[in-house]
Amino acid sequence: MKRALYLLSMLLLVSLVAFGCGGEKKEEKKGEAPKAAAGIKIGSLGPLTGPYAADGNDIKNGVLAAIEVMNPEMGALGPVTLQAEDDACDPRQAVAAANKLINEKVTAVIGAYCSSATIPASEPLIASKIFMITPASTSEKVTERGMPFMYRTCGRDDDQSKAAISFMTDHLKAKTVYIIDDKTTYSQGLADNVAKLAAAGGLKVLGHEHVNQGDKDYSAVLTKVKAAKPDVFYVSLQNSASAAPMLIQIARMGIKTKILAQDAVYHPQLMELAKKDAEGVFLTFGYTDKETPSYKKFADAYKKLGEPGAYSAYSYDSTVAYLKAVKAAGSTDPDKVKAELAKLEFDGASKKIKYKENGDSGSNYVIQVVKDGKFTNYWNPENGQLFAK
Amino acid sequence: MTIRASKLWLGYGVAMAWFFVLLWPLLGIKAEGLEFAESISIWLKVAVAAAILLGLHQLKQGGLFRFLEKPTQAASAAADALAARVPRWLALCAVAACALAFPMLTERYAHDVAISVLVYIILGLGLNVVVGLAGLLDLGYIAFFGVGAYTYALLSVHFELSFWLCLPIAACFSAIAGCIIGYPTLRMRGDYLAIVTLGFGEIVRIVINNWMSLTNGPNGVLGIKSPGAYWFKDGSFEHIWLNSLEQLYYIILGLAMLTIVAVYRLNYSRIGRAFEAVREDQTAAELMGVNTLRLKLLAYAMGAVFGGIAGTFFAARMKFVSPESFTFIESAMVLAMVVLGGMGSIPGVILGSLALIALPEVFRGFEMYRMFVFGGVMAVMMIFRPKGLWPAKRMGARSEERD
Amino acid sequence: MEFLLQQLVNGITLGGVYALVALGYTMVYGIIQLINFAHGEIYAAGGYMGVILISWLFAQGYPPAICLGAALLLAMGYCALLAMAVEKVAYKPLRHSSRLSVLLSALGMSIFLQNGLMLTQGVYDRAYPGEMVQGGFEVAGAVVSYMQVIIVSVTIVLLLALNLLVFKTRIGKAMRATAQDKTMSALVGINSSRIISLTFAIGAALACAAGIMVGLYYGSVRYDMGFVPGIKAFSAAVLGGIGNITGAMIGGLLIGMIEVFAAGYISSEYKDVFAFIILIAVLYFMPTGIMGENVDDTRV
Repeated sequence: MKRALYLLSMLLLVSLVAFGCGGEKKEEKKGEAPKAAAGIKIGSLGPLTGPYAADGNDIKNGVLAAIEVMNPEMGALGPVTLQAEDDACDPRQAVAAANKLINEKVTAVIGAYCSSATIPASEPLIASKIFMITPASTSEKVTERGMPFMYRTCGRDDDQSKAAISFMTDHLKAKTVYIIDDKTTYSQGLADNVAKLAAAGGLKVLGHEHVNQGDKDYSAVLTKVKAAKPDVFYVSLQNSASAAPMLIQIARMGIKTKILAQDAVYHPQLMELAKKDAEGVFLTFGYTDKETPSYKKFADAYKKLGEPGAYSAYSYDSTVAYLKAVKAAGSTDPDKVKAELAKLEFDGASKKIKYKENGDSGSNYVIQVVKDGKFTNYWNPENGQLFAK
Repeated sequence: MTIRASKLWLGYGVAMAWFFVLLWPLLGIKAEGLEFAESISIWLKVAVAAAILLGLHQLKQGGLFRFLEKPTQAASAAADALAARVPRWLALCAVAACALAFPMLTERYAHDVAISVLVYIILGLGLNVVVGLAGLLDLGYIAFFGVGAYTYALLSVHFELSFWLCLPIAACFSAIAGCIIGYPTLRMRGDYLAIVTLGFGEIVRIVINNWMSLTNGPNGVLGIKSPGAYWFKDGSFEHIWLNSLEQLYYIILGLAMLTIVAVYRLNYSRIGRAFEAVREDQTAAELMGVNTLRLKLLAYAMGAVFGGIAGTFFAARMKFVSPESFTFIESAMVLAMVVLGGMGSIPGVILGSLALIALPEVFRGFEMYRMFVFGGVMAVMMIFRPKGLWPAKRMGARSEERD
Repeated sequence: MEFLLQQLVNGITLGGVYALVALGYTMVYGIIQLINFAHGEIYAAGGYMGVILISWLFAQGYPPAICLGAALLLAMGYCALLAMAVEKVAYKPLRHSSRLSVLLSALGMSIFLQNGLMLTQGVYDRAYPGEMVQGGFEVAGAVVSYMQVIIVSVTIVLLLALNLLVFKTRIGKAMRATAQDKTMSALVGINSSRIISLTFAIGAALACAAGIMVGLYYGSVRYDMGFVPGIKAFSAAVLGGIGNITGAMIGGLLIGMIEVFAAGYISSEYKDVFAFIILIAVLYFMPTGIMGENVDDTRV
């Protein structure tokens, strides 16, 4: 009993010391306020562990690349440092991480990945006037809650589904579609939008199936798809890792229909995992011109961090946008930066970045196709034309 | 002495060789060719660390630290005596004062972690009724947490009912869920119970995830209200929302205190004794006139009530619920708190919750290594304190273990 | 008819994999009454060893059949060593403490191993090189790929070998004796500690084979791939009557079938719900599983 009491006091002590350290550091910083003001601290939030760890690391690397590019330009405001936090896509941990970042006095947070982490984490962040720029959460609700410091660099679910529908009806001239999603906020939201718009566009939805996130065996569902014989098979999955086994099994099953996927599936590892079975798969993706100087700059900075994933460029652009606004404002004062961010317009690595009133940056979805092991632009829904080779 | 030492070092050699055989294929075999540098560097670090630990152990056995032992023993004896002289109520008051003063001394990140710890203390104590007192293994406990959270979330969003009204409603719903889950499991023992409760936990999560019209599926429920209160201001009572972390901290502290008192009273009540009788020997308890069937149901329902209360608060605090918060791993975590702290012991469960929620946060600096270290620490803790950090006083072999 | 047949083929493949993993759970449970949570991670480690070894052997220019066979054997050996190490480190010191302590230690090991895999192998999926086994054939309209044939046949071979080992050899006899009564078997000269290690090793080797075949079948492996099949296989083991080898095989097949048919005929999002409901219903009416756990001859 007594020994246990000591244990308790020790544990209490340890935890107090652990939290106290955080506090102490801050006090030090308060003491040397003029020096602490020099330097910008950016936080990143994303799943560094757990099933979405790959995407979380893409986001973190995107921020790192942007910091490397922007650091020389920041002049007296610099240097820019990154505090990367893990939310494991768990709402509770996301809020804890957000509060930690507030403690660490970051001025902007790039993240998070899952909408279910972004939404709860945004509450304390925005209440503390910290910018939150998500490179990956496409749920409409992220920006439609009227949060003043919430921005989004990627596109939105509803815009993406429009591009998908126009591709299916106008280009593929499809009459029937079979939809599958894996029950995440993102994948299901998109699939539901497609199903809704399909009816309006004269497409017949033969079936809408859901699989569970983390499943690898889709044989039962694919047998159904095979029996239904749709013109297009719309695949809305949370990431490339679940899409690859799906494509392999589609090929093995002998399903020959056209496959249309969405941007979460965009990752170089798709081709690595599914190999030749990924050939000919269409996907909706934000238009990226890989020949522009800004993309090349991004690609150069990213090179040593690995291959860019679906959200690396968005995360890079989010960081660059914020830093550009800070530079223009001449300080990290949230209201000044917000005013600059509203004026900001530049060519990012992913697209032309211009934030709207509600924080969205607009979407420019095109259809890409996997050809010879590479994602290539294929069809532009704006003008209904194929991209020139 | 020397023989034992050489045997120890032989064991060390075998273990390290074994470790290398396990480590090298993971790091060294690449399509481009075989590589040794990286695995050897990691292996060397581990080997040196293990050798130092072993060496220290040897020296301690050899009596090198004996000169240290006496003063530490004296110090601990003195501290023991001092602790014995401090009356129990004073110690409790000190702990309570610490808990009350906590938000004033710390920053918001610490508040956030403290709130999580308190939520899990309620969960742990609730599960403790089922596992620690009644001896029924439950791997799906988080389902009740989910039921509570969704009850409040839906009532708050659709009917704008207040938090304080929803608290008992959610507790009732959870208790009903507890009975539903409890009923079919009454006939099963030990590990069958484990898989069935696990199954129920998963069923609840999958249903929440798929029942779009009710729960909004994976999108979760947004716009949940914080707890409200009437506060005396400018000569009249005004309704305010308790939004800030400090206010939430005090609410959950109050709820946790209530839970502690309730579980403490339960522990020493007739029902509590009956639970223990069922745990220690079901047949004997039945012979003594304990209605085991009813008691087991009651245990599930009571555990569920605390789960529901914690869930209600969780929903109010996050202002958002989604099925991701109610996965199997969360159930396992709560169970880990109970077992790690010491089954059936209230301070133990509190300690366990503190350790399991605060530790991963403390390890945050390790980023990718966080869960890796956490898993290792969990296994090691179990090896060194298999009965838990603060074992309960009255605890026999569980009835199922005997056969 | 075509639909039914195809789903049957799907179910048998899936069930075979579950059965292989379930055997590890059931054997360990039978001998030390422990739900070995780390078993799913051993399965994942097997999948990774498969990728690593096959990539390497492939790069050396060996023909696919040899790559596959050698990788299977080596990886099974590796997993056996890994499981024995886990047993020695995390379970053996706890042999005489409460069962829940060991359960938690197992849970800790599971988290530890999963994250260890993540740290050494990275967070991205690893792909199996090339298509090792291509093509397939059609039976009455149902597509059967050669990979499925391999999975089912390897499963059958391993199950037969296991049966021979357990019921026809001295080691098997010792294992059964230890499962029945540890003290008594120690009295007649059986080294129960060694037998327990051996049980872990055999269970791990089977899980490893399952991991490699699943990796080949789906084309890739990931550090957290062991978790979901682990839970399913554990359900399968319980469904069949935990501790019972024949039960684990039947349970595995059943869970696989239920999942596929529920997804095919009722609803794919609720397929796991059906699997669990059937599990609960079976346990309600047969509290010790389909085959029962106390059939002395088959209990290991």
